[in-house]
Amino acid sequence: MSTASSLHQSRKRKNAVMMTLCVIAAGIGLAWLALILGALVYKGTAGLSLDVFMQMTPPPGDAGGLLNAIYGSVVMTVIAVIVGTPIGVLAGTYMAEYGRFSKLTTVVRFINDILLSAPSIIIGLFVYELMVRPMGHFSALAGSVALAILVIPVVVRTTEDMLNLVPNALREAGTAIGAPRWVVIKSVAYRAALSGIVTGILLSIARISGETAPLLFTALNNQFWSSNLNAPMASLPVTIFQFALSPYEEWQQLAWTGALIITLTVLALSIFARSLTGRREDK
Amino acid sequence: MSQMLSPDMTIAAEATAKAKIEVKNLNFYYGQSKALKDITLSLPERSVTAFIGPSGCGKSTLLRVFNRIYELYPKQTAEGQVLLDGQNILDRSQDLNLLRTKIGMVFQKPTPFPMSIYENIAFGVRLYEKISKSEMDGRVEQALKRAALWTEVKDKLNASGLSLSGGQQQRLCIARTVAVKPEVILLDEPASALDPLSTAKIEELIDELQADYTIVIVTHNMQQAARVSKQTAFMYLGELVEFDRTEKIFTSPREKRTQDYITGRFG
Repeated sequence: MSTASSLHQSRKRKNAVMMTLCVIAAGIGLAWLALILGALVYKGTAGLSLDVFMQMTPPPGDAGGLLNAIYGSVVMTVIAVIVGTPIGVLAGTYMAEYGRFSKLTTVVRFINDILLSAPSIIIGLFVYELMVRPMGHFSALAGSVALAILVIPVVVRTTEDMLNLVPNALREAGTAIGAPRWVVIKSVAYRAALSGIVTGILLSIARISGETAPLLFTALNNQFWSSNLNAPMASLPVTIFQFALSPYEEWQQLAWTGALIITLTVLALSIFARSLTGRREDK
Repeated sequence: MSQMLSPDMTIAAEATAKAKIEVKNLNFYYGQSKALKDITLSLPERSVTAFIGPSGCGKSTLLRVFNRIYELYPKQTAEGQVLLDGQNILDRSQDLNLLRTKIGMVFQKPTPFPMSIYENIAFGVRLYEKISKSEMDGRVEQALKRAALWTEVKDKLNASGLSLSGGQQQRLCIARTVAVKPEVILLDEPASALDPLSTAKIEELIDELQADYTIVIVTHNMQQAARVSKQTAFMYLGELVEFDRTEKIFTSPREKRTQDYITGRFG
C-alpha cells in the first residue's frame, strides 16, 4: 500500500516537473511572437495614415506612401494565384482521384515535397534564368511566375490531402448511383473537400505575400507607379527590404508600416482560413 | 440434418420464380488471393435475398460484383458470368454507369452527399433525366415517401443531408437509390450502424420495397436475415455453402457448416 502511494507521489512530482517545463517552453515561444507583434504594432501604427495608401514611395527625405508597392504586391499575388491555383488543384486532383494507386503519384508527391521546401531564392534564380535573362529586363510578369511556382506545391499538397480525407464510401456512393467519375469528383469529392482546398489556397497567398527573395531577381522594384506587367514593379516585401536597410528615417518608418500591413493581411487570411476549416469540422 | 430432403425439390421451387440475376461460376480475386470460389446461384425477381456468413466469407465481395463497384480499385478482378436479365454484366462492353442506374446500392455507413436533402435525391435523377423543377419536386417527394422519410423532412428539404440522424441518413440513401428507378437494390449491412428502432424502420421498408424491386441484402445479423428475406445464401471462406428458402436454411439446413453457423457454434 505504501509503495503504491509513494509510486503515485513520485509520478505526480514528475508530472508537475514536466508540465512546468512544457509551459515554460510554450511561454518562450509565445513571448517572441508577442514581442515581434508588439514592436510591429507599436512602430508600424506610428506611420499608419491615409497617405500610406494614397501616395507613392517617396525619394529619400520626403514624405510619401506605399501605394505603388501595395498595388504591385496585390497584382503579382493575384496573377500568381490565378496561374498557380488551377495547376495545383488539378495536379492534386489527379494524385488523390485518378492516380491514387499509380507510381507516378508517388513520384510527383516526392518532387512536390521538395519544391514545397525549396528555398524561395532558388525559385527566384530559376525564373531569372528562365524569363528575365531572355527578356533582357526585370518584369512584374516574371515576379508573378516566381510566386506562382511557390503557390503550386502548397495547393497541390493541400488539395491532395483534403481529397484523401474524403471517405471512399462517399465516392462509392456517388459511383453506385450511376455518376461518372468526373461528376463524382466535381459534385461529391470537391464539395466535401471544398473548405480544405480553399484553406490551402489562402495559406499559399499568406506564404507568397511575404516573399522577398524571388521578387528581387524577377520583378525587382520600382520607385514609381507602374501598371506595366512587362516592366519592373514595386512590391511590399522588396520595398520593406530596401527601406529598412536605408539610413533615412522616413523610409524606415514606411518599412515598419509596410511590415505591419503584410502581417495584418496574413493574419486576416489565416483567421479566415481557420474559420473555414473550423466550420467543416463542426459538421 | 437426419432426414435428407431432396435438394432437387427446392431447386425446382426456385425455378418457378423468374431469375433477375444469375451468377455462373463466378471467381473473384483481390490481387492474387481468391475471395470467391466458383459461385453459382440465381436470385429471383421482386424478392429479398440475404447473404449471411462470418466476416471475410465473401458476402460483401459478391454484392460488390453485381454493380461492379469493385472496379474503383486496382487489382480486383472477377471471372465468370453474372447475368442481369440474361445479359452478362461482367462483359467488357457493359456501360458501368448505366449498369449502376439499374442496380442501386446502399452502404453500411450512411453516406449522404455533402448537399441538401433535396439535392441528395435530385443529384442522381438529374444525371440521366432532364425534367422540370415541378417534376423534380414530385420525384423527390415520391422517393422520400417511398423511404418513409417524407413526414420527417418535408419542412427542411434545404437543410444539409448531414444534419439528419444516422437512421434518417440511411433512409435518405435508400430514397436516393429508389429515385433513379433501379431494378435491383443492393444493401450492404444497411442497418449495422443503426439503433434498433431505426433498424426496425429499415426492415419494414425492405419488406415494402420488395413488391417492386429485387433486393439483395448482406447482413451479419442472422435474425435480420430470417426476418426480411425469402431466400438466404450462407457463405463461408469464399464458397457458397448453401442457398435455399430462408425458413429451410434456418430450420433444417442441408449442410453441417450452415447449421453450426446459424446455431452460433462459430462465426
